[in-house]
Parts: sequence; C-alpha cells; structure tokens
Amino acid sequence: MVLDLLMILEKGIWFGFAALGFAVLFNVPQRTLIVIWMLGAAGGMTKLLLMQANIGIVVATLAGAAVIGVLSVSAAHNKHAPPLVFSIPSVIPMVPGAFAYRMMLGLIKLAGTAVTDPTYHQILAETTSNGLKTMFILMSLAAGVSIPMLISRKDTIKKIRNLDNSE
Amino acid sequence: MSGNNIEKVKAAEEMLLDLGTLLMSCGASTGRVRITVNRIAEALGYDVELLITSRSLILTVAEGDTMSFSSSVRRTPPHGVNFKVVSGISRMSWRVVEEKLTVEQINKEIDRLIALPHYPRLVVLSTVALAGASFCRLFGGQGLELLVAFVATFFGLFIRQESLKKRFNPYLAIVFASFAASMVSGLSVKLGIGDSPEHALATSVLFLIPGVPLINSLTDLIDGNTLNGVIRGINGLVMAFAIALGLMIAMQIYGI
Repeated sequence: MVLDLLMILEKGIWFGFAALGFAVLFNVPQRTLIVIWMLGAAGGMTKLLLMQANIGIVVATLAGAAVIGVLSVSAAHNKHAPPLVFSIPSVIPMVPGAFAYRMMLGLIKLAGTAVTDPTYHQILAETTSNGLKTMFILMSLAAGVSIPMLISRKDTIKKIRNLDNSE
Repeated sequence: MSGNNIEKVKAAEEMLLDLGTLLMSCGASTGRVRITVNRIAEALGYDVELLITSRSLILTVAEGDTMSFSSSVRRTPPHGVNFKVVSGISRMSWRVVEEKLTVEQINKEIDRLIALPHYPRLVVLSTVALAGASFCRLFGGQGLELLVAFVATFFGLFIRQESLKKRFNPYLAIVFASFAASMVSGLSVKLGIGDSPEHALATSVLFLIPGVPLINSLTDLIDGNTLNGVIRGINGLVMAFAIALGLMIAMQIYGI
C-alpha cells in the first residue's frame, strides 16, 4: 500500500514535467510555470488514486481533469491569467496516448487482414475497445476542464455588473 | 456624425479587429474572444456585433444611439498557440475598463505583447523532450527507453519547427515530425534497446497531440458556438490523422 502511494507520488512528478513541456511549447507567461507543474501533478495523482480504488479510467480521468479545471480557475485569480493558460497544458499528460497508439496499430492490422482470418474478430474487438476508451477519455478530459471554466465565467460577468451598479 | 468622429470609430474598429483575430489565432476560445472584444468596446463607449469564425472575424461598430455604424472583415493571422498573448490581452482588457486606456495606448500594448520573446529554442526543445520522457515513464517505460523518448521527441520537434519555418502546410509539418520522431524511436525497437522499447515508440509522437484545438472545441460546443466547435474538432482530428500517418510510414519502413 505504502509502495503504491510512493509510486503514485513518483508518477505525479512525471505528470508535472509532461505538463511543463506543453506549457513551454504554448509559450505561457513565466510566472505560471510552477503552478502548471503543480496542477499537472495534482490532476494526474487524482486520476491514479481513483484508479487505485478500482474506479474505471474514464471516470478517474474526468475527476482528475475536474480537479485541474477547478484549481485553474482559482489560479487564474491569483496569477492574473485566463484559466485556459493553466488547464490546457496540465491536462495534456492525461491524454490516452497508449490507447490511441494501440487503436492505430489495430486499424493498420485490420486493414491488412482478411475477414475470413480467424484472428480478425479478436483484433476487431481489441481495436474497438481501445478506440472507445480513447474517445471517452478525451471527452472526459475536455468536459472536466471546460465545465469549471464555463461556470466561473458567469462569476466574472456578475463582477462586471456589480462594477456597473457601483458606479 | 462628424468626419473626426468617423475616423475615431474607424480607429477603434481596426484595433478591435486586430485584437479579436490575434486572440483567435493564439488559442483563445470563441466565447473568450467575444467577451474580451465586447468588454473593451463597451469601455470605449461603442456597441459591437461580432461574427467569429476560425479563419476570419466580422465586426460592426456603432457609437451610442446614432444611426452611424461601420463594418469590416479581417482574416485571422497565422500565429501559433501563444498563451502569453492571450493572458496579456486578458489583463489589458481589465486595465481598459479600470484605467480608461485610449485606442492608441491599446494598440501600443498589443504591439508590445506580439513582440514579447518566446522561450529560447533550446529551452523549448529540451523541456518538450523532457515531457516526452515523462510520458514514456507514465506509460511504464524505464531507463534507456526514457532516453530514447527524449531524443526522439527532441528531433521530432526540431523537424516540426524547421518545416513550419520553410512554410510547409501545417498538417504536413506534423506528418514530417511524427515520421522523424518514430524513425528514431522505431530504431530502438528494431535494435531491441531496453526491455520494452514499444513504450518509447508509442510516446515519442505524443508532443504533437492537438490539445488546444480539441479542448477549445469542446469548450465552444458547450458554450453554444457549435460551428466553431465543430471546425476546431475536425482540425484536431486531421492533426491526429497526420500524427498517425507519420507513425504508420515509419512502422512500415521498419516492418514493426
């Protein structure tokens, strides 16, 4: 159990570095870099902890992305940058690269296998499963990040109205 | 409306068009472009109507309740994702509201934001390569495989930057980059470096993931900007196909 937690902590560090790479690629302001590293680690560790508790990868990813989404809104207030600056680089490490890769391999194999081949259905089943996982994980990533942003945007509009009323 | 007034409206319109198209090309969602342009126009005392598409912006400015208005179209410039600009413009929009900046001051600030330096090339290449190695570790790679993923990502991103500099089609640049990265990591599979070199192959192309289009796509869809959401989604999908194509060619060459 302790070993598992250490493992998750170690992976959190790597999640952070993967997020940092994308942050630099997207040319984020320097003052946001450390926050992005922490958000990436927090989201990734949330996902791994939930998966440790036997929750499916899609729901775990949704939760991880939602953690990043909510934290990025509060980071946006503290560091004066829009939430998407924090959230987009931080969720990219959770992109299901391995599933997408296996789906791609499967599709290439399927294209080159005759339907009568006995392995065809096995490959088809695996490819469908990997493809569906890829799709749903991607959707939950985007949803987990977008929804807190959209909710918080209502707050800023309220602030504008308050400003107008106070003048 | 006097001649002087028309010039002022025109100047504001030019500035708002610059600002909106710049935001769009630097990776802001449609809703953010609309909110920012509206916020600045309102602070300057104009009413605006916007039609935002992914490749161009149509804008009508009207002053107060006069019947005079002016419309213009501008193409979106081909900048890449640049969150420094998105964040700078967002901060500036609040200063426009609070400090009542003039159109000239806003134009100067926009020029300053565009001129802000990117991270040094070597820093970008090595941090993204480190991200590639991190991906490899996350998917269960070890030791030498991390190194292979690092080198492959470094080389792939270098090829992408060079292709974009030579003004290749952006999707083709992704194919080149994905091909280059998977040729490097595929070699390690062919030579059997490390315990499970497939990890390096699968993760060496992940730096090309179209994260910004895909997430902005869903933000736009949820926000009701359905058309832009669909456009961004298709854009992301074509980029994903480009990654797969480069990977596939390399795998066919190595016969993996």
